[in-house]
Amino acid sequence: MKEEAFGSPAAATGIRFLLLAAVFIAGIAAERIGLVEYLSDPWEREYVLFLAGQHLYLVAVSMAMALVTGLATGIVVSRKRFRKFAGVVMYVIGLGQTIPSLAVLALTMSFLGIGSKPAILALYIYSTLPIARNTLAGILSVSPAIIDAARGVGMSPARILLEVEIPNALNVILTGIRIALVINIGTAALGYLIGAGGLGDLVFTGINLMRTELLLAGALPITILALAGDYLLELLSLLIVPKGIRMAG
Amino acid sequence: MIEYDSVTKVFGAGKTAVTATDNVTFTIEQGETAVFLGPSGCGKTTLLRMTNRLESITRGNIRIRGREIREMNAQELRLGMGYVIQQIGLFPNKTIAGNIAIVPRMLKWDKKKIDARIDELMSLVKLEPGVYRNRYPVELSGGQQQRVGVARALAADPDILLMDEPFGAIDPINRDQIQDEFLRLQAQLRKTIAFVSHDIHEAIKMADKIAIFREGRLVQFDTPEIILMRPADSFVSDFVGADRALKALGLLRVKDAMNREPRNLARADMTAMEALKFIEDNNFAHLIVLRGNRVLGFVSRKHLKFERGNLEALAEKFPEELGVREPLRDALSAMLLHDLASFPVLDDNGGFAGTISYKNIQKSILELYSEYQDE
Amino acid sequence: MNLFVFLQENYSTAMYLTWEHLWMVGLSLLIAICTGVPTGIFITRNKQLAQKVIGGANVIMTVPSIALFGLMLPILAVFGHGLGKVPAIIALVLYAELPIVRNTYVAIKNVDPALVDAGKGMGMSKWQLLREVEIPMAVPVIIAGLRTAVVMIIGIAAIAAYVGAGGLGVFIQQGIARSHESMVLAGALCVSLLAVVVDLAMGFLEKRVTPRGMKP
Repeated sequence: MKEEAFGSPAAATGIRFLLLAAVFIAGIAAERIGLVEYLSDPWEREYVLFLAGQHLYLVAVSMAMALVTGLATGIVVSRKRFRKFAGVVMYVIGLGQTIPSLAVLALTMSFLGIGSKPAILALYIYSTLPIARNTLAGILSVSPAIIDAARGVGMSPARILLEVEIPNALNVILTGIRIALVINIGTAALGYLIGAGGLGDLVFTGINLMRTELLLAGALPITILALAGDYLLELLSLLIVPKGIRMAG
Repeated sequence: MIEYDSVTKVFGAGKTAVTATDNVTFTIEQGETAVFLGPSGCGKTTLLRMTNRLESITRGNIRIRGREIREMNAQELRLGMGYVIQQIGLFPNKTIAGNIAIVPRMLKWDKKKIDARIDELMSLVKLEPGVYRNRYPVELSGGQQQRVGVARALAADPDILLMDEPFGAIDPINRDQIQDEFLRLQAQLRKTIAFVSHDIHEAIKMADKIAIFREGRLVQFDTPEIILMRPADSFVSDFVGADRALKALGLLRVKDAMNREPRNLARADMTAMEALKFIEDNNFAHLIVLRGNRVLGFVSRKHLKFERGNLEALAEKFPEELGVREPLRDALSAMLLHDLASFPVLDDNGGFAGTISYKNIQKSILELYSEYQDE
Repeated sequence: MNLFVFLQENYSTAMYLTWEHLWMVGLSLLIAICTGVPTGIFITRNKQLAQKVIGGANVIMTVPSIALFGLMLPILAVFGHGLGKVPAIIALVLYAELPIVRNTYVAIKNVDPALVDAGKGMGMSKWQLLREVEIPMAVPVIIAGLRTAVVMIIGIAAIAAYVGAGGLGVFIQQGIARSHESMVLAGALCVSLLAVVVDLAMGFLEKRVTPRGMKP
């Protein structure tokens, strides 16, 4: 099923920033004194930044791995020879997403113990599907007429892949990467539970101790990171996707 | 019948306004097929869609059997008309029977009546009900689908059919066939039909009258013969094509032009010498050899010189036979192909009825032409 | 094999938690369907509105679930419902809305305009069109959206255990807290199984609901 691209980037951005502002205002209004006080302590500030760093580390490594496998799988399965395996492969990869994130984390923990390794593995499993699925869908959606023309001109299959199929599929692929990134950032918050650190530390501690300023100190950055990641990738896609293809919708 | 009275349609407003239809006035009589013809963007489809109020009318009136359609309930209006579109538009989630039954169901017919009607219509469009009733549109070819489309439009037996390039999506071979079948259907049912087309050949074939549009204006509304013989202006004559005489030949039949009392006939038992003398005395190009009223062939000087025996043995068969009902265009084609200036014409039983020649054909075209000049 | 022993011994707890989990998911899904599908149908009339609504829902999706729980806590605590099922169900409904509204909208929008034209030209009213053409053709895609939604919120409901909502996440949470490996695995396995089974069931439903004439 094709997804419509919605509105101008400006409209979506506008909505994003509105929500961001709302989040900020709500957060600040609700616990203004608490949060500002908390963050005015340099130790705490440093701690938040440290956790953010850990968080990003988890995200970065798992995304890198997911990119490699996701793109590779999507491309391989789109080749005529392997197309009949597409359904099965996608379902298996998809299991990683069907199974709740918490359960995946719990399972990796039982195999790899606690720490960042199992967390990265779980995040990797979780992020691969959107990338693989969108890569496959994007490549398959390239009009067969275009590929036929490319073959007629004498391009080799590798060339066609690089110069025709992937550029035309880039839009859809980047959307998949975007979805994966956002899911990843959100799920990485759970990494704290199995000892991987990250901003989830503040959130869960805040819930347990009923200290809202901790909670917000964790939740807000995660949200900001997710929104920022989403926005950055959208910018990236505006830059990378060839203009002609973007205009064609 | 459908009356168009100064019908105007404007899209948009102010500077960007586009006049799609400009003061169009004409009437389609009951039982007539009017083809709206013209290049793309000329407003023919807009006019059709105003007839069932899928587009609103900016100015002017459309009257169906005297009633203004603007005063009627739009839905009721449409339920009383059949609508066939180029993309066919069969609902893929319903069976063939389900598709045909839609309007009768909305009109609350009882089930038995609907079932009977479905069978009746499917036979009418030559789709075996037993086989196709429960199939889905996706299982049928384009031509078959559009036949269902026509059946669906006729389901509630409306007086009026609106057709928007209905055969456009069908390949040319099947298109010919479905056009022929539709003509036969219309001869039987005599509906009032507004038919949009951009194809002059289709228009000539299907229309009782053709309405030619240009940039929203009605340029000419006449029978195909008049349009061919007396185009209103250069736009029409260009649109119709420089070969309009040949197109007109498609409309005339051999029986309209043939010579029923030709003199260059000879009996099969005539001898070669007698025949040769007959030819030279009258300066004929050839003689048609008959046995009774069966055509055996022809003989010319080269067949007869220095020959003995009778014509039966010497006659050369005609490469083609022409019937009284065939269009003159086919006759001309045969003459050009076989380099024969005249052909025998056979009646419906295969017996000799007369001859047809270049001269006959030319005479009838000229007669047609002058007939429409005098009006 | 501690896992199976654990499950055997704590069978009733497991059943209870499963039931709790399903209850939360079911109620949220119901609310989301009742609000989401009509919304999806409604916004097909106005493209601007559609963009705003779906854009808004998209943004909610971007917020990580745990963060949403966290953000709702202080606000809902004012009403005495900071923890427990209320924030969980609110969050589940919010997250389920996007796939449902978006799929409904896209499904109806994607109905071939030629069919809509044919239907209107035949004399169908707006309602009849929706009923006879647009909705039957949209149902498979709507069900696909439901499938995405329900699998997603089964997962989020597991996390909701951390805000006191109960459900199978409790096994995982308690298991990690007490370093009780089989409890963790029991929780993970049960909720995974639940998700996979529901996904398969929805898959079958999707196939059954696709009108015969439209199977690709």
